[in-house]
Amino acid sequence: MAKRDTPLLDELEKGPWPSFVTDLKRQAEKKPECWDILGQLELSYHDRITHWKHGGIVGVFGYGGGIVGRYSDLPKEFPGVAHFHTIRVNQPSSKFYNTAKLRALCDLWEKHGSGMTNFHGSTGDLILLGTTTDHLEPLFYELTHELHQDLGGSGSNLRSPACCIGKARCEWSCFDTQAACHGLTMHYQDELHRPAFPYKFKFKFSGCPNDCVAALARSDFAVIGTWKDDIRIDQAAVQSYIKGEFPSNGGAHSGRDWGPFDIQKEVIGLCPTECMWMEGDELKIDTSECTRCMHCINVMPRALRPGVETGATVNVGAKAPILEGAQFATLTIPFIKVDPESEFEELIEQIEKIWDWWMEIGKNRERVGETIQRVGLPTFMKIMELEPIPQMVREPRSNPYIFWQEDEVPGGFERDVREFRKKHAQ
Amino acid sequence: MALSTEDLKLAIIEKATKSPKPQLYIKDFYKCDPDSKPRVIKNVANELVREGELMFWSSGSTTMYARPDRIKNEETREDAEEHKDD
Amino acid sequence: MGYDPANPMVDRITDIGPPHFEQFFPPVIKNNYGKWLYHEITQPGVLMHKSETGDECWTVRIGAARLVSIEYIREICEIADKHCEGSVRWTTRNNVEFMVDAKDKVKPLMDDLASRSNKFPVGGTGAGMTSIVHTQGWVHCHTPATDASGVVKAVMDELFDYFTSHTMPAQVRVALACCLNMCGAVHASDVAILGIHRKPPMVDHDAIAGLCELPLAIASCPLGAVSPTKATNSKGVEVKSVKVKNERCMFCGNCYTMCPAMPLSDPDGDGIAILVGGKVSNRISYPKFSKLVIPFLPNTPPRWPETVAAVKNIIDTYAKDARKYERIGDWAERIGWEKFFEKTGIPFTIHCIDDYRLAYDTWRTTTQFKFTSHIK
Repeated sequence: MAKRDTPLLDELEKGPWPSFVTDLKRQAEKKPECWDILGQLELSYHDRITHWKHGGIVGVFGYGGGIVGRYSDLPKEFPGVAHFHTIRVNQPSSKFYNTAKLRALCDLWEKHGSGMTNFHGSTGDLILLGTTTDHLEPLFYELTHELHQDLGGSGSNLRSPACCIGKARCEWSCFDTQAACHGLTMHYQDELHRPAFPYKFKFKFSGCPNDCVAALARSDFAVIGTWKDDIRIDQAAVQSYIKGEFPSNGGAHSGRDWGPFDIQKEVIGLCPTECMWMEGDELKIDTSECTRCMHCINVMPRALRPGVETGATVNVGAKAPILEGAQFATLTIPFIKVDPESEFEELIEQIEKIWDWWMEIGKNRERVGETIQRVGLPTFMKIMELEPIPQMVREPRSNPYIFWQEDEVPGGFERDVREFRKKHAQ
Repeated sequence: MALSTEDLKLAIIEKATKSPKPQLYIKDFYKCDPDSKPRVIKNVANELVREGELMFWSSGSTTMYARPDRIKNEETREDAEEHKDD
Repeated sequence: MGYDPANPMVDRITDIGPPHFEQFFPPVIKNNYGKWLYHEITQPGVLMHKSETGDECWTVRIGAARLVSIEYIREICEIADKHCEGSVRWTTRNNVEFMVDAKDKVKPLMDDLASRSNKFPVGGTGAGMTSIVHTQGWVHCHTPATDASGVVKAVMDELFDYFTSHTMPAQVRVALACCLNMCGAVHASDVAILGIHRKPPMVDHDAIAGLCELPLAIASCPLGAVSPTKATNSKGVEVKSVKVKNERCMFCGNCYTMCPAMPLSDPDGDGIAILVGGKVSNRISYPKFSKLVIPFLPNTPPRWPETVAAVKNIIDTYAKDARKYERIGDWAERIGWEKFFEKTGIPFTIHCIDDYRLAYDTWRTTTQFKFTSHIK
């Protein structure tokens, strides 16, 4: 592959942010097909349109996911990227690596692909960007035999689950997000690698309501840490915040003078449920009124910590807008224990209730959140064998069109119109 | 009563062979045996892929099944077109 | 023994899953797992986590492109070996984190990072901006309405000072998805940069028989705009094909994904919409969707000046006007969306008014409003 002139892309080598163009050129010295990535991209910059098309049957034998077929629509002009498939490698929970593992991955990809990657894709997988069909089986063999790694999900499969950093380096994680993510990924290897569902299905695990992995916005089954008991308060540390000895919000606002810290204005006054107050020098919180939004804890991390009776809230059915519009996940189980000791059987039980139902009644290309919209939340609650509670809604319904069931009404639905007519002339 | 695994395999192969659509969703196979649970049918369909009777077709976001001889292959199609030019 | 193409099934290993996370932890993480007490961002890009054991984990966060080469990853490895006992991690927003177990190891690490031109900018913490999560764009996607990596690079260059500082009222999360399918799930971001198509698909009657299953193409349309028809191909032969009811098209491109004979990308039709005010966190207010405030900006490679200026204007206006801790969406709701449009100077157009499903939820059903320049 010859070097390409890229006058438009060269403009993206300027400026303070790291340049992917510079990086691609660096890679092209070892991997000349990168010149064809640059060449085709330069043409897209000139034409203002993509030059890729997709094709549906590439994969490794026996897997229905993990590889996405991709072809240039100008294969003669750009032979280096004529066939240029994507490989999704399932990432380790919360994306820690050692350099031995990373170097092995780099060597594998130098041998079998373009050398370009995404660290990481939106769902969480480590994405290897660009190879030909004849490399897929050898790469998969070496990935599994030598690197002891596996592919991630794509298509109508379980997608690679993802989690926040959790207990590895966060003081707020209310359950072991990494263990849950890894445990359920291992438990559902078949669903991850082979299609099982009407459409994609995603699990995500966030350790607290800050939801750093965006579970509530983008996972079909969102597990988000929470707690039941009192926020733990270190009153001496509260005083240190009031005296300005500790920076507010862990130093997040250090670049600007916002004036001296004001606990009334910045913490108590912003509490959405107004459940906090000062009694002399003591900060008080009425736990029964608290909705665990994390604001006070975020502002004063050295003084306040989540409680010790911890677990998770499960919300179901989030998705991006396509097709029916975006949805956040709906609160389904307010509090559940997430226990590595039981191998997460509490979560597994709930997941399989959803799957057994959705596999049967979900339409093709319908996310579970859309299925729930279609049948209604009350129907879904019955499937999940859950008692209706006010926590499941923001507010009660405002229309009276209840779908009454026959057994809810004395005497049922069958009546005799002739009996009715005896008392009511036509 | 639910079909035996062998009978279910035959029914799925027949459906995939005779359906006017070469590519089928997993849900299309549910009709092969209304008495079998979706999960059972899914497992049997995936076993047929391992046996080479079916293969996967994926748009990236959706995965479908097809008989290998009924599916359009981007790479062989290109080759054929190139030979046509010769 | 390597892979034997004659016997691909011999010794085949499948379904082993990802490696267990714990083997990759540096000692300070492994020894303090679940024991962290609190954290502090000591300067932009540098976090200190304190454990109940007394240990400290010092993290240096750097911004990165999402599209990176193995040469770049090998350079990350070189840094991690030199300073971090061979351990490194990535965040969910494509930042890289180097961790050391003592404060005095931070400066040598930062000096090393700074010595490598602009490849490893330190920042992305606190009340600032962090890396933009994004999709593939023209680099590798078949349905994009814009590029991803190039737009992100141009926007981050312009907003770079917000990445390396803590000067905003709260964190600002920017995301880019290169088409309406939003595989980047940008729908709950402070600022979402979204590629959109504006021309309905064309139908290639010559290729459709060879490329598509017509029932799948018809079923793929969420609004029933695709229907069967008989058409004449370029050889004058009548073929079974489909037609598109243009006035029903929502430009989602689902048909093209199922049927490559229905391309819809177009240099002038495609461009960028800007949505603002979304968030994921449950902090103070509920999670919110991003709202569409600019329906269309043109694709202007290589540096998309209109998009860059629009994002900068929104973020600058917010940074000046919002209160401490207020996210963009919280600010816009407090001042009112009519004030948002007035303060940012963004023209309000008919396309900002929802007419898709659940649209009524967004219409104003009160007499409370503010008199702004919009009322003539």
